[in-house]
Amino acid sequence: MSDTGGQLRQALRLRSARISLGILAVVIFLGFAGGLLAPHDPLAQDTAHTLSGPSGEHWLGTDYLGRDVLSRLMDATGRSIVGALEAVAVAFVIGVPAGLASVFFGRFFDWVSQRIVDSVMTMPYIIFAVSVTGVLGNGLAQAMLAIGIFLAPLLFRVTLAAALSLTRAQYVEVAELLGASRWWIIRRHVWSKVLPTIAVTTAQLAAAVLLVVSSLTFLGIGVKPPAPTWGGMLSSDLGFLSQQPWAPILPAVAIAFTAGALNAIADAIRDTTGLESVPTARGLFRRRPAYAAGPATEPDGATRAQPVAIPAQEESSHA
Amino acid sequence: MLGRRGFLGLGAVAGSSLLLAACGGGSDSGVAAGGGNGGTLRWGWSEVTSWDPVTSSAGWDVHALSLTYAALTKLDEKANPVPALAESWKYDATGKQITFVLRSGLTFSDGTPLNATAVRKSLERGRDFAGSLVAAQLVDVQTITANDSARTVTLNLSNVNYQIPSLLAGKTGMIVSPTAFEKDAKGLATKPVGAGPFRLTAYVPNQSANLVRFPGYWDKANIHLDAFELYPAPEAATAIASLQSGRLDVAQIPASQVSAAKSAGLAVQIIPSLVTTVLDVNVTKAPFDNPKVVEAFKYGIDRAALAKTQTFGYGVVNYQPFPPGYVGHVPSLDNAFPYDPEKAKKLLAEAGHATGLEVPITTTGASTAIAEQVQAQLAKIGVKLTIDTIPAAQATQIMYIQHSKALAVDGFAGRDSAVQAFQVLFGEQGLMNPGRKTPPELTAALATVRKTPLDDPEYPKVLQAATKIAVETMPNIFLFTTPRILARKKNVSALGSFLAVQRFEGVRVS
Repeated sequence: MSDTGGQLRQALRLRSARISLGILAVVIFLGFAGGLLAPHDPLAQDTAHTLSGPSGEHWLGTDYLGRDVLSRLMDATGRSIVGALEAVAVAFVIGVPAGLASVFFGRFFDWVSQRIVDSVMTMPYIIFAVSVTGVLGNGLAQAMLAIGIFLAPLLFRVTLAAALSLTRAQYVEVAELLGASRWWIIRRHVWSKVLPTIAVTTAQLAAAVLLVVSSLTFLGIGVKPPAPTWGGMLSSDLGFLSQQPWAPILPAVAIAFTAGALNAIADAIRDTTGLESVPTARGLFRRRPAYAAGPATEPDGATRAQPVAIPAQEESSHA
Repeated sequence: MLGRRGFLGLGAVAGSSLLLAACGGGSDSGVAAGGGNGGTLRWGWSEVTSWDPVTSSAGWDVHALSLTYAALTKLDEKANPVPALAESWKYDATGKQITFVLRSGLTFSDGTPLNATAVRKSLERGRDFAGSLVAAQLVDVQTITANDSARTVTLNLSNVNYQIPSLLAGKTGMIVSPTAFEKDAKGLATKPVGAGPFRLTAYVPNQSANLVRFPGYWDKANIHLDAFELYPAPEAATAIASLQSGRLDVAQIPASQVSAAKSAGLAVQIIPSLVTTVLDVNVTKAPFDNPKVVEAFKYGIDRAALAKTQTFGYGVVNYQPFPPGYVGHVPSLDNAFPYDPEKAKKLLAEAGHATGLEVPITTTGASTAIAEQVQAQLAKIGVKLTIDTIPAAQATQIMYIQHSKALAVDGFAGRDSAVQAFQVLFGEQGLMNPGRKTPPELTAALATVRKTPLDDPEYPKVLQAATKIAVETMPNIFLFTTPRILARKKNVSALGSFLAVQRFEGVRVS
C-alpha cells in the first residue's frame, strides 16, 4: 500500500497533475457552493434584458430569458458533475468487486460474470439510457444509473486483468500455502497492486462520463428545466448564435476543462506507475479486448520480470 | 386536415426548430415538358409521414402533399375556399347536398382521367379505408354520386353542413388516382399519384424527394418552376448557413434569426399564419377541476411578455384560436384576459389556494423556453409549476391519446375549416381538449355555424359568436399567434402569403 501511495504522490508532483487538481478543486468547490456564490439568482428572469452581452452587472451576459449566464454556469457545476460521479460510482461498485471476485472465487462465478459482461457490452448504452428515462421518468439519476450499469463491464475487465496477473505471484501462493483467507490476500496483496490501474481507469471513465452527461443534457435527457446544466446551456445557446455567437463557448470550456483535468490526472498516474495506456474515453465508443488494460509489468519489483501468468482454468474459460 | 403530430411540431413555434420552406435555384434536373422556365426550387421541409393524404399523420405534411395533389378546393390568402379541381359548387336548398362541378380535361399524373367517378372513389376511400386518418371529417357524407358527362360530384350529407368546401381544401379533399390505390394502396405512401402542380420522380426517405412540373395541372399557367427538390429541414441554427451555401434557397427561420438573415443578404418574408401557441388544460384533473383556477391562470400569464420574448416581437398576443384577419377572429376578445396578477391571486384564494399550489406542466424539449417563462410568471401568483419534459416521440400518445396530463404547452396549427378547428380544440373527441367536455351552448353554436353558408352575410357573426363562447367557457389558454418567417435567397421571387398552406404559385428562381 505504501508503494502505491508513494506512486500516487509521485504522480501528483507532475505539473500537469497539479494544474488538473487545481481545476478539479475549483470545480468541486463550485459544485458544492456554486449556487450560493453566484452573483445573481440563476433562475431569475429579466425579460427586458435578454441575450445581452457582458457588462458590469452580468459579467458573461444574459441568456434568452434574461438570466445571468455566470450564475447559471456556477450553479450548473454541481448538477453536471454529480451525474458523472453517480454513473462512475455505480460502475465502480458493480465492476471492481465483481472483477476481483471473478479471479478469486472460482470458475463458476467467473464464467457467469463473463457472460453477463459480454451480454451487457453488446448493448448501446446511451440509447438504453434514453430508453430508461422514457420508462422511469426524465431524471438524471435514472439515466446515470443506466449508464453506470453499462460501464461496469469496463471496470470489471480492467480489474480482472490487473488482478489475474497476481494469482501466480509467489507471495500470493505462499500466502495461500500458509492458510491465508482469500479476503486477507485480496486486502493485503492484491488491492494495493490493482489500485493504480483502477484509479487510472476511474479517472478516465469520469471524464468520459462527464461528456456523456453533457451529451444527454444537451439532448434534454435528465434535465428538469429551468435548472441549468452545462450540456443544457450549450444546447439552448445554439439557438441564438446570431445574437451571441460566443455563448456556447462558455459551457463548452467548462466541460472541456473538467474532462481534460480528469484525463490529465489519469495520465499522470499512469506515467508514474508504469501502466499501459487505458484509452477509456475512446473505449466507450469502441469495443476493447479483454485484459487489454492489464499492467505490463508488476508494480512490485520482485515480480517485474515475470510474464503475466494466466492460470490454466482462466485460459480455458476465456478460450 | 392536419394530423396529431402537426400540433406538436407547430407547437414549437416560439422555440426554434420548425423549418418550413426552402427553394433552390438553378439545377437542370428533370425539367418537364412544356416547363415554365422558372428553375428548380430546393425546399427544406420536415419529412412527410406518408405521401398518401389519407394515411398522412402529421399536420405539416399538407404543405408537401399539396405539391403532388390537388384538392377540390383551395384556400385563398385569407383561408377562404376558392375553386381548384372543382370550378364551382352549389348547395341545395336544404343544405344537406352539395354538388361540385369539375373542370374539364383533368388528368392525374399517371395519365388516367380525373373525372367525377375518380373523385367519388377517392372521397369514398378517405371515408371508408380502414387506415384512413381523414375518415372522421367525412362521417357526415352519406352517399356520393358522380356524373362523368356533366362533370358533377354530389355529396349527400346526413346533417346540414356548409363547411364542406373549406374542409375539402386540405388533405381530406386531395384527390388520389383510383387506378393507383386500387392497384397498390400501400405504395401510395412512397409513390403519390395525384393531379398537383408537381409529379414525384424520385424519393429516398429521410434524404430527398425530386419532383418535376406536372403539365396536366389545372392551374399550370401559374406554376413557373420546372422542378422541385425537397430536403429534410435543416436545424434552426444552420438554416441561414444552408441558404448562404446554396444548399437551400428558402427556409423558415426562427424569429431570433431575422436580423442575421437580413445581414446575410437574404430576403425575409413575415407571413401571417394560423399557428397559435396554447396551453392544453385538463378540467378533469386537479386543480383545474375548479374553473376559478383556470381563470386565475388565464389572468396570471403575461402574454405580451411571452410574445415579445419568445417570438422577438413578431408574434401577436391572442386570446382565441383564430388570428386577426381570419373570419372567426373576434376583435372584442383582443384583451379578454388582461394580465392581472392581483386578480389571479384573488381567484386562486377563492378556489381555496390562498397559500399557493403546485402544478406540473408538460412540454417537449422544443417548447421548454415557453414553459420556463410561464413558470416564472405564475410563480408571482403563488403557483409553483414543475416542468415535465417528455420525449417528442411520446407526446402524441401521452397528450392526445392518454390525455393524462393536467397542463401542457401545445401549438394549434389551424385547420382548413373553422368547424374542424373547433372540433380539434373543443370537441368531446378533440385532441386538444383533454378533459373531453364541451358545454352544450358551444355545441349549439357550432351547429349554427354548420348550418350557415360561408357566403351568408351572417356567417362571420355566427362563427364569431361560437368563438366567443369557446373562449369564455373552454379551459384552453391561448397565448400568441406566430407568423411564418421565411428567408429566401434573392434570386427567388417573392412567395405567396398564405394563412394556411404555403403554396408556390407564381414563384420563379432566376
